[in-house]
Amino acid sequence: MSYPAEGTLQRAIAFLAALGVGVATYIAVEAAGGDAPTCLAGSSGCATVAKSSYSHVAGVNIAVFGVFGYVALLVSAFFANDLARFGGFVVALGGFGYSVFLTYVEIFKIEAICQWCVASAVLMTILFLLNATRLIGYGGTDQLQEAR
Amino acid sequence: MSGSSEREKRKAERLRAESATDAGERRTRLMQLAAGAAFLAVAVVLVLIVVNSSSSGSGGDTKLEGAAEVNQRLAGIPQEGMVLGDPKAPVEVVEFADLQCPYCKAFTEEALPPIIENQVKNGEVKLAFHNFTIIGEQSLPAGAAALAAGAQRRGWNFVELFYRNQGAEASGYADDAFLEAVAKGAGIKDLGKWNAERDKFTAEVEETTAEAERLGFNGTPSIAIRGPKTDGLEAIETPGSTGDLEAAIEAAE
Repeated sequence: MSYPAEGTLQRAIAFLAALGVGVATYIAVEAAGGDAPTCLAGSSGCATVAKSSYSHVAGVNIAVFGVFGYVALLVSAFFANDLARFGGFVVALGGFGYSVFLTYVEIFKIEAICQWCVASAVLMTILFLLNATRLIGYGGTDQLQEAR
Repeated sequence: MSGSSEREKRKAERLRAESATDAGERRTRLMQLAAGAAFLAVAVVLVLIVVNSSSSGSGGDTKLEGAAEVNQRLAGIPQEGMVLGDPKAPVEVVEFADLQCPYCKAFTEEALPPIIENQVKNGEVKLAFHNFTIIGEQSLPAGAAALAAGAQRRGWNFVELFYRNQGAEASGYADDAFLEAVAKGAGIKDLGKWNAERDKFTAEVEETTAEAERLGFNGTPSIAIRGPKTDGLEAIETPGSTGDLEAAIEAAE
């Protein structure tokens, strides 16, 4: 099976992770200022989700964790070794898993959809797929490349 | 010369073969670790979802009692802001209360129901809830949340349901999850609007608290009454029973 070139995957991961940093930073900054992110088309879903009890873990806004996660993914995209591939995969896996849980919470518990959270969930899903492809396609090739 | 070159070639091939073997083993280990991490992630997400789905459906993990009963009892009675009853009712009874105050709960649940059932429903009296926050720091956001409910004509549903599920005084129970659950249980139609607006009502809570202090009140619940025979809004001694309140209403009519 052929995989996209690792450089292409790294560039795509870097681009999407940078977008993710922007989205998560916006949510975190708005929350720190006591506001909720502004939903498009006048929807109040963002305010409802931002003020729900699910928006914080151990007193910290989950967007802050998101910022750290996206930054870690961005950093991992700049290195072509197994540590970066596996680290990127684990971070993206964690982010993707938590996004699944948060989407469930939005739909079935809070009963409101925050467009910024959906944007982050979509980014994290794509990042998970890209990092999984990178790990499966190029994991364990460090020594092989050195030998060549 | 050619013998030495042959040896170097064989050595290079052996090194390449060893590297390929090492890479294969390393790759296998990485894939096993990745599969383990994926399995763990799926398990954690499933546990989170199962744990959350077994808790109450609204407002986080808070379970409420009495929502149906409260909403049924107040159904059909006009509400405007925090005023319950016909806006043209000649007598207005104003309750200055803190949602976290157990005496306010007792007053609302014991003294007020007969008044609501009779004088309020027949248009003689209207009841107003004014926040007088004295218990703890959660009283302010709780009061603002009640006013935001009032903006959707569910203020008294919110207040009564809050009292019905009141926790130990200033114990920290009145957090966002609790307020969300009360708002939802009170039948607020647009929870997003309620959530977005409630901070804006903080100033109004502070205003009514200042109003209570101007009237000379220093505890909750405190009662004031306005009617044809009163000089504006007059503070009265907090009625100990429905009968005492009925007498005060009669004097004001």
